Amino acid sequence: MSAPDAFALACDNLTLGYDRHPAVHHLDCRFPRGALVAVVGPNGAGKSTLLKAIAGELEPIEGGYRLGVPRERVAYLPQRGELDLSFPVSVFDMVAMGLWRQIGAFGRLHPAQAELVRATLARVGLSGQEQRPIGTLSGGQLQRARFARLMLQDADLLLLDEPFNAIDSRTTEDLAAIMQEWHAEGRSIVAVLHDFDLVRRVFPHCLLLAREQLGFGPTAEVLTPELLARARTLAESFDEHAPVCHRHAEAAQ
Amino acid sequence: MKHLFACLLLACSTSLFAAPLKVVASFSILADISERVGGERVAVHALVGPDGDAHAWQSRPSDARLVMDADVVIANGLGFDTWLERLAASAGSRRVVLASEGVKPLDQHDDHDHHGDDHGPLDPHAWQNVANVRIYARNIATALIAADAAGESYYRERLAGYDAELAALDADIRQRFAALPEEARKVVTSHDAFAYFGAAYGVRFLSAAGVGNRSEVSAAAMARLIRQLRKEQVPVVFIENVNDPRLIERIGAEGGARVGGTLYSDALSGPDGPAASYVAMMRHNADTILAGIQP
Amino acid sequence: MIELFVSPFTDFEFMRRALAGCLALALGATPVGVFLLLRRMSLMGDAMSHAILPGAALGYLAFGLSLGAMTVGGIVAGLVVVLAAGLVARSSILKEDASLAAFYLMSLAAGVLIVSLRGKNLDLLHVLFGSVLSLDDGSLLLIAAITSATLLALALLYRPLVLECFDPSFLRSIGRWSPVAHYGFLTLVVLNLVSGFHALGTLMAVGIMILPAAAARLWVKNLPAMLVCAVGLAFASGLVGLLGSFHLDVPAGPAIVLTAGLAHILSILFAPGGAFGARLYRRTHLEA
Repeated sequence: MSAPDAFALACDNLTLGYDRHPAVHHLDCRFPRGALVAVVGPNGAGKSTLLKAIAGELEPIEGGYRLGVPRERVAYLPQRGELDLSFPVSVFDMVAMGLWRQIGAFGRLHPAQAELVRATLARVGLSGQEQRPIGTLSGGQLQRARFARLMLQDADLLLLDEPFNAIDSRTTEDLAAIMQEWHAEGRSIVAVLHDFDLVRRVFPHCLLLAREQLGFGPTAEVLTPELLARARTLAESFDEHAPVCHRHAEAAQ
Repeated sequence: MKHLFACLLLACSTSLFAAPLKVVASFSILADISERVGGERVAVHALVGPDGDAHAWQSRPSDARLVMDADVVIANGLGFDTWLERLAASAGSRRVVLASEGVKPLDQHDDHDHHGDDHGPLDPHAWQNVANVRIYARNIATALIAADAAGESYYRERLAGYDAELAALDADIRQRFAALPEEARKVVTSHDAFAYFGAAYGVRFLSAAGVGNRSEVSAAAMARLIRQLRKEQVPVVFIENVNDPRLIERIGAEGGARVGGTLYSDALSGPDGPAASYVAMMRHNADTILAGIQP
Repeated sequence: MIELFVSPFTDFEFMRRALAGCLALALGATPVGVFLLLRRMSLMGDAMSHAILPGAALGYLAFGLSLGAMTVGGIVAGLVVVLAAGLVARSSILKEDASLAAFYLMSLAAGVLIVSLRGKNLDLLHVLFGSVLSLDDGSLLLIAAITSATLLALALLYRPLVLECFDPSFLRSIGRWSPVAHYGFLTLVVLNLVSGFHALGTLMAVGIMILPAAAARLWVKNLPAMLVCAVGLAFASGLVGLLGSFHLDVPAGPAIVLTAGLAHILSILFAPGGAFGARLYRRTHLEA
């Protein structure tokens, strides 16, 4: 039984940006342990940036965040950008890398671990695809494989950036079900999503982000027409003539 | 008073000629010969200095300036330094003196490795025969006199002295090699530069044919040369001062030949080296070859 | 038959040494070449042959025409260029190829300047570069040592290196292996290239690194098989090239590289991954 104020992630006046323009402004929120939170908002709202920062790839320009779990127990699934699909590696080998924390850089895979990899592949619906080169997978299959790798990392806090982007609906449903299983296992999950319908169905908590925090709490209270309308009026691009931001100082007074 | 005036005049007249004649030579050997002949009346500069490789010379802007300012420009000719003739033409048509004029040339050996710079049909290494260099010195003296008539007697005197030195050197080398039996007089070098030496002094230079210092070598050529070394029992192979020695060492090791000292083919050594002047170079080469043949 | 294939090697030690040199190069440089190819850095070899000039020049200035000093200088210069380029690529918006191009050009210019300061026209790089037919004990030892070190390093770094190649963000997320894999690999490249230049000349060093890798890529689809295939092709090219040089009287280095090139062309024509692969390997498709 975790302590009453145990959290998975806490943001304290978190401000992230590029070149003085904020992508995320003054974010103050706490994600309790075991939460299943969707991060939503219009394009340019700073959602991916937020996840990148929590994953440790970006330094805040003001404020900070605290992790409620050790860094090694955080797993991050970015958008697919940097993956080189032409590289000659099999699905099995790619997914098995999820066990890195156990086997390290040099360890061999024990039979039990190999079996675990196969079982995980079966759980995401990729049985029989183990030896295929990753370049031959469809978009949906590749995402399943990445989910399988994520599962093998056995993390306590999972950060997923637009996991269902350009994925067929069957895969989406299957993977969403897996996320619910993780939730049932007590893991904390933060996922950036665009599909409000899915969010309403699957995610009990929601963070509405439009550069600044517009709402955080149970999904039904956040995804209201008024808040969504406010989010939509957010300017997408950086304003070269914007004044210096004093909001936090003003709030503290 | 008259004597004082005469002395002053003499002092003036010598000081009028204090500025030496500017001579530019293509490479160190020609520069050395020019210095011996010209003495104090010349300031000589070699474009390709000691240990340099005139075959692969890339002209620089400073070279062009030197050529333009020079009073006399000396090239070897025989296709060795056509780059200098081109440079002189583009720098304003200074007439280039060919040191090898009047020398009886040898034909270029067929398998000579050209380093990417074609000599043409003639072998340019005429200076390897001391007798030829007597002609060189005469040609250079003629050029100096043409540019500096007032120094004629000076140059003639120096030429005579140098010529005597060369004649003695020539005879000496000739005699030392003649003392050896013919079959002993064979060596291998990696650069085909000693045809004139061989013809003049009766030494058979087995060029590492096709095994030149810079081009890519074929295994067949190496095998051929090694077989020849073994068959002819050649006692020694020589490395030259502008080459990578590893190839010739390998040939020597497998052919059963010693690796002799360094021979100087196309350039003098630095001032501290054994071939700091032409005469020293020829003496060194002769000594080294003889020592290699019969240690 | 024996006369054709075996006696060149039994009769002449230089042929045996050349074959040993080819074997060492195939085992060490070719696997590195496979990774270079997969990381789209194949042109690096040529860039490196110029980048090492200032190091060789400084070695020459300090120690004269000592091959040892110039080779060590070349290795140091190569490492500086490659590691600096890697550092800049990781920390700025410049990608690896732009970064490397920038540094090797600066290095080459510096090298030309240093050489010209001495005033002598010595074609330094030509002196530094060896030939497969003139492998002395020192050179053989050098490439054998580098090959052994390479094989060991590749065995140890295999997993991080593979990840660094195809999913660097994942590697970053699970620990600090990313820079080790990255810089370690670049170091291997420099060591193999410079020792290859010293022993065998630029043409062979780069040729045997890249050509067999490119050919193997067209035949097999998984990495371990690709490595084995490339090494095999590299050694075969060495063997055939040497015999060709021996019997047909053509220069050895180019013969070996052209043999590898021929293998590559044949692969383009006939391999499953080649230009006509789809047509040549058409098979009836399965139910599912």
